[in-house]
Parts: sequence; structure tokens; C-alpha cells
Amino acid sequence: MEIVRGRKIVRGKASGRLILYPMSFSFLGDVDMNTSQIISKEFINQNLFLKESIFLFTETKGSSGGCVVLMTLVRKKIAPAGIITIKAPDYNLTEGAILAGIPFISDVQVEFLTVAKMGDWIEMDTETGRVILKR
Amino acid sequence: MLGGSQGEIVANAMDCLIQFGEAFGAECLVDIQYCHYPAEMAIYEGSVEDLLVFAKSSPPVLVPTTTSTVCCDLQHPTVTGIPAELAKKQALVSSAYQKLGILETYTCTPQLNGFIPPFGSCISSVESSAIIYFNSVLGARTNRGGLFTRYSAITGKYPLMGYLLPRNRAGTHLVHLEEDSGFLESYLKWNIFGYLIGEKVGSEVPVIKGIHSARQEHLIGFGAGMATSGSVTLYHIEGVTPEAHSGMDSFMGKKPKESIVFDRSDFERIIQSFTTIKKEDDIDFVTLGCPHYNLEQLRYTASLLEGKKISSNRRVWICTSRMVRAMAEISGFVKTIEASGAKVIADTCPVESHMRKSTCRDYGLTVPNIRAMASDSIKMTRYVRDLIGCETALVSTERAIEIAIGDRLS
Repeated sequence: MEIVRGRKIVRGKASGRLILYPMSFSFLGDVDMNTSQIISKEFINQNLFLKESIFLFTETKGSSGGCVVLMTLVRKKIAPAGIITIKAPDYNLTEGAILAGIPFISDVQVEFLTVAKMGDWIEMDTETGRVILKR
Repeated sequence: MLGGSQGEIVANAMDCLIQFGEAFGAECLVDIQYCHYPAEMAIYEGSVEDLLVFAKSSPPVLVPTTTSTVCCDLQHPTVTGIPAELAKKQALVSSAYQKLGILETYTCTPQLNGFIPPFGSCISSVESSAIIYFNSVLGARTNRGGLFTRYSAITGKYPLMGYLLPRNRAGTHLVHLEEDSGFLESYLKWNIFGYLIGEKVGSEVPVIKGIHSARQEHLIGFGAGMATSGSVTLYHIEGVTPEAHSGMDSFMGKKPKESIVFDRSDFERIIQSFTTIKKEDDIDFVTLGCPHYNLEQLRYTASLLEGKKISSNRRVWICTSRMVRAMAEISGFVKTIEASGAKVIADTCPVESHMRKSTCRDYGLTVPNIRAMASDSIKMTRYVRDLIGCETALVSTERAIEIAIGDRLS
């Protein structure tokens, strides 16, 4: 079991399988909002779906329409269960996550990208800022 | 307001803004002067319905508020080929915005409609290319806004945090273009230059040296590029943008984290990576106007199309706002453009339209709806690749018109 700490952005607890996306992510364009599949060129063949996952990426990029895409995933019940970023949070994504009630922890140590593996079981608790990796 | 003296909706809006501010350590809420609001699009499930419920009980906005793009040209809904049912749903937003006092601009470039917040004023804005323009070119102060713009519009408030604080507006990276001053002569090159910088700096604040002047449309494309490859919200160009005039220290006494140099080989790499077409005949769609074109760009496009005819197997959209379109109609540019067979489209663009793969599947339309698109916009080529699923050719404005009228790509 590994525990890392980050900064609480949106309150709540969440758990799920990790999707590790070791680069910046645009909710507009990098995910299919009908299926939650990651469709960015780098990941399209990996058959990864954000639904019910703990989604770890470095930072947000791209259009400010990203928060609307996140809300659409929530309305379709295919949103990630929790969000973790390595870098400081994006205001746009935070607004979407607050409205959607998706727990969000930012500023997790970059080493977590090498410790964690795709599919690991993750528990996150924003009150303590703890991200627990269970294998 | 928080106590409910102005109703439950306003109290809830204040509560959300306070929670939001607390997450980022904001000390207080401040008065804002303007909002650019994310228009609810019918291609997003539940979005229009949510607006209609909100508009029923919300008081009107307290500050001037404009709207971003929707998924069709609301005044000419048949022109883009949108399914009638979807257009009908999208049209419902109009009366809701009127009730709320929101101005129906439906554009990603509200600054071209006269919304130019004063230097130093705090605002709340969506649309990444407008946000970066407001911050960098006008010196207004905004973060990358989202759905809470609604709450700011009806309360006139936003948390004092991020780029609203002068201390967070210092440059972090020094950028230099190692080419002569004439190199950045085109809209396309400014787009690519922005994209290159965003790719490198992510969410930081680049300071660009060695550029002495820039046109409005070039800076719009430049910012859009940066906010596509990264999430850049503010940049400074020494001697050009208002927080980097001569004698001012854009780094506020700090040392740049990194110095970055680009040259023409970087530009060529980007053109190659965004030109995925196998053969020129594949191009069936040409888009200009991402972000929405200004009046000068429409004039220039009209001059390129005058007396020409669009190839019968190509669709050509030149996208702009309804207000700029009206000005271009008065000036005769729309007539010239449309005589060629190209369409001047307002309120939307391909990437925001029904042509997204997900919407096409919902309405039984061909997927992908476009085989291959040529555009002078890096933002457009980046997003259509994944959202529409088409091949792309990133080309100059002039080349895009040549393709539109049937010339072969060399």
C-alpha cells in the first residue's frame, strides 16, 4: 500500500481503478462524451473509459468547454469517480467538478506517476488529501 | 446575498462562488464588470433543459453578459445542415437569455463586438481564446472560467484569486523567435507560434521578446493556439501588450524558469503533424474563422474569392459572429463571398456543430461527417481531428481559398 498526499480541491471520497494519463488532458477532444472512452491519438487503442475510474493526469489543457464535457459525462452517468492532477488545478475544471460533485485532489507528487500503474485500485479522501494505492 | 435576501438562486450562486474561492484560498469576492457566458449547447445532453429551468426562477444578470457559441446559426438554421429537431432545441435558449438579460452574441470573439473591458478590471469569462485575449491584450483580469460564469453574472462577483491578483501575472518563461521580423507575416504562422509556446509552457505565463507589433487578428489566432496546446491564460509580448510596455519588468523581479527559442523548423514540424491527408482530393471541407473572423478578415477573404467559384465537391464555411456578419453585409463582403458558393456562418463553427461524431451517431448522420478539412486555424484542425474524426490540412488562408476553388495541394 502506498500513500501520497495532495491538495483538496473538491470535497468527497472516491475509489476506483486508476487511469493513468501521464500528460496534459483536454476534456474537449480527448474523450468521447457518449462513451467516456479516451480518444486522444496517444491513447485511442488502449480501450480506456473514464466511467467510474480514478483519473490521474498531469494538468488540464485546451478549451474552456472542458467543464461542460465533464458535466455531460455526469448527466450520462459515465463520469470518472475521482480526479487527481499532478500540477495545480485548473479553475475551469474545478468549476465542473464542484457542480458534478466529483472529488478532486491536485498537486500530488510527480513520482506518483511512476509508482502507480494503470488499473491499480485507488482510494482518495479529499479531507485528508490522501491518495491510497492498493495492490 | 448569501443569506437569501435576494432569493434562493442568488444565495446558492454565492455559496458556490465562496466554496470555489475557498478551494483556492481566495480572501474575498470582488465586483466584476463583465461576463462572457458559456451558451448552453443542444449537443450536450441536458444542457438546454438546465438553462430553461434556471431562467424560470433566476433574477436577471447584474453585469453586461455576452454568450459564447452554440451548435447552429440560429438566424439561418438550415444553412449548416443541422437536423431540424436539434436546431429547434437549440433555438429555445434565445428567450431564456432574453429573460435573463444576457446578450445574444453567440461568439468566441466577443471583443470584436465591442466588449472590451477596461485595463485592470475584473471579469469572468469562458472561451479559452477570448480569456487569453482579455488578459494579455486588454489587461483585464480573468481566470479560465466555466460553468460558474452563470453565478458570477447574477451576483456580479468572483473570488479574488488566480489572475485577478497582480502578483500572479508575472512572466515565468522567456520566449524568443529566432527568425527575422518579417517571418510572422501570416495568420497561420501566429497560430502555430502560439501552439508551440503552449506546448512548452503548459499553464504558465510566457513573455515573448523580439516582436514589435501585431495585428488584432494575429493576436487572436496566437492566443487560441496557446490555449489549445496548453492552458495558457496570460502572456506578455514586450513592447506590445499593456503589462509589458517598455521599461516594465514582465517578470516582476523574478528570474525566468526557462528560456525557449523557436525557429522555422519548429513551424514546419507543426504543419506536418497537423497535415494528415493522404491526397489533396480528399479535402471536402474548408473552414476559416476559428476563432470567429473579424471584419478585416472577411474583407480579405472576400477579396480572394471575388469572381471565383467554389469547387462543387467542397463545402466552405467562413465563421464569424452575427454582429460582424451584419457589418460585413453592409460592406458587401458577404455578398461577394456567398456569390462564390462559400457560406458565411454565424453563431457556430464545425467543431461546435452537429458534425461531431457523437451527435452524428445520435441523429443517424454519416460518421465522419467530413472526410478531410483544410483550415488556417490550428485550434480547428486540432479539435476536428478527434471530435469530427476527419483528416486535416493546416494551410495558410490563401492556400485554403485555393483549395476551396479546386486547386491541388502542391
